[in-house]
Amino acid sequence: MPTKSWLGTFITRNGYLLGGYIILAVLVWILLVIVLPQIAMLDFSFRFDLPPYKQGGPEDVYTLSNYRYFLLGYPGNPDGYNYVDLAVFGRTFIAAIFVTILDLILCYPIAFYLAQVAKGRLARVLGVALIVPYWINEILRAFAFRVIFGASGIINSILIGVGIIDSPIDFVRENVALYAGLTYAYVLLMVFPIYNAIESLDPNQIEAARDMGAPWWRIHWRVVIPFAKPGITSGCTIVFMLAAGALAAPQILGGPSSLWFTQIIYRTFFESVNWSRGAAYAVILLVICTLFVLLMMRIFRVKLGEIGR
Amino acid sequence: MKLLTRLAVVAYLLLFFGFLLGPLIIMSITAFNSSTFPRVVPWECLTFEWFTRLANDTRVIQGLEFTAVIGVFVVVLSLLLGLAGALLLTQIFPRARAAYYTIVTSPILMPGIVIGIATVLFWDRVAHFVGAGRDSVFYHGVFLTVLGQSSFIASYCMLVFISRLQRFDEGQIEAALDLGATHVQAFRKVLLPFLRPAIFSAAVVAFLASFENYNTSVFTLGHFSTFTVVIAQKVRFGLDPSISALSVIIITATLFLALLNEAYSTHAERHPGNPLRSVFRGGVSGFFAGNPAAFLALLMLAGIVATTVYATRYDPTRCKAEVLRRKLEIQERYARPTSPQRATPPAAAPGGQAPTPPRQDGFGGAFNPQNLQIAPAPSAAPAPAPTPPPPRQDGFGGVFNPQNLQIAPAPAPTPPAKP
Repeated sequence: MPTKSWLGTFITRNGYLLGGYIILAVLVWILLVIVLPQIAMLDFSFRFDLPPYKQGGPEDVYTLSNYRYFLLGYPGNPDGYNYVDLAVFGRTFIAAIFVTILDLILCYPIAFYLAQVAKGRLARVLGVALIVPYWINEILRAFAFRVIFGASGIINSILIGVGIIDSPIDFVRENVALYAGLTYAYVLLMVFPIYNAIESLDPNQIEAARDMGAPWWRIHWRVVIPFAKPGITSGCTIVFMLAAGALAAPQILGGPSSLWFTQIIYRTFFESVNWSRGAAYAVILLVICTLFVLLMMRIFRVKLGEIGR
Repeated sequence: MKLLTRLAVVAYLLLFFGFLLGPLIIMSITAFNSSTFPRVVPWECLTFEWFTRLANDTRVIQGLEFTAVIGVFVVVLSLLLGLAGALLLTQIFPRARAAYYTIVTSPILMPGIVIGIATVLFWDRVAHFVGAGRDSVFYHGVFLTVLGQSSFIASYCMLVFISRLQRFDEGQIEAALDLGATHVQAFRKVLLPFLRPAIFSAAVVAFLASFENYNTSVFTLGHFSTFTVVIAQKVRFGLDPSISALSVIIITATLFLALLNEAYSTHAERHPGNPLRSVFRGGVSGFFAGNPAAFLALLMLAGIVATTVYATRYDPTRCKAEVLRRKLEIQERYARPTSPQRATPPAAAPGGQAPTPPRQDGFGGAFNPQNLQIAPAPSAAPAPAPTPPPPRQDGFGGVFNPQNLQIAPAPAPTPPAKP
């Protein structure tokens, strides 16, 4: 379709004022707010970290050194690889997958229950109970977990009081607090897409499967889960991306020996004040996580257009 | 078998909602304990002092002001962008639609810190390009934060508008145009009224998202601090029950609004047409009859008022003196065997040397090295400053932790010596 005729119909349909507003706003949004900043970040990541007076000078050339640093460390690194950053990245990645799986296991039943079983007032009350915690600030939710899992927190007090342990367990050091906090933070984001998907499933399909003698787990495996696959993928994608990109929860709940990759980016920016390397690390985080999500969608045969509905 | 399934379902529901609500309940209780470390056990005294402390915290109050300013800008900008994005989605040529949809929803999935970094870097470039200095708008924290937050909040708004627009009959606009309305009139008189509920809920979503955003703002704010960033700093550098008090306020407000919303929608279901007017016309009793949410909201309001009144009259000094006396007794008992010369004024014992029990000592765990960076020094004891920082996350984000040293290398090209 030629652009001009499309623009023509667009203007006849919306008028100059309204059509102009729509086009202008979308252009501003896509270019100035979404795309160009990403390109600027990509551009920064391929440059040396130069003081302002050298920028644009002869030394301001493109380089892969920031990415090389992520893989190999500083030049002449005797270890061969930058094990510290690579290990942190790997751990963040695996922990994010772990949190996603945990959330899926935790949330699938409640999504099914709310969508197919609960009726009337009970469903509404449960829905509100689900949403209210999500309205509380992310920081405050992390704080709550810090209070609970602290050395003199309620869990240690109970465990000691009952006599299971006699000295407090350092849940923060063991990262239990972090995983619990992250799982907690994204519960609603997992429940909601799955709920939306399952809600549109005709209850007669479940009924039919049951009439034909399928046990409950096979009903889920063969009927509900295949139907809800776009919702499940959508929920898993959101939770994975947000968990891998989380900053507040690891800062508050993370143990001292286990950094989150975002914390490394944060430090590169604010403590080493190396914007180029920070940009490169941000690009690495974004690109690898996105590729992983796309790969998973390929493996589970979900199309991009199906999710996010 | 059937009973077993039912029991399993009930147990799961209890566990799930226990996980969901338990942390918030426990945190709320700690706001009323006079212990300087936020905890439920051991319970010391009922107190409201943390609320007073919170109200006197100027950084929090100032953060709230910035949050409000940024929130208003973000709401306006995101509504404008999101609405345009949603209107274009239905009209863009079909072949570009999928790509367009992917681009405008991608900020939702993008890690917040990536958005923050990209925004800062891009406007730095723009400033360079136009030759603006460090004090120009391109480095201004509010400007950058509003743009950074709007990139994904506009996507939220767009999704809200899309779901509303799906039920819109395009014929209405055409009819208005056929009848001689201008495009702007048709938009104002037909589309906008139809979108009003969506505008309202998108604005609420946008404000809440802006309010609680941390990951993006922390990069874009510069030397400003929003409420959430202030809270995050407070939480990172020390646990303080006034944060619990803050949570209590937010949770109460949320719960109250949720109940009010529920009460209103129950009422609106029964009185289609103009529900708000029928509240006033039908009288108060009509609103509460058969509407438990409304009743609960009223009960909650009464509870809040009663608690506030009680708090102004309540005086915990006696209870606190009693707790302090008991603490000193315990302290004395532990202090006497090894260092008798220090036993008489136990408060004078230097923090690091007092042979205190490993945990739950009388000073709210202040001598516990694990809590060192967490609990503020209690008034009765000197600050345990001389003790060296324990080898865990200290107040400086763990930069002094030897394990973390190697992560932030010197920016100089010469490699730092490896230990």
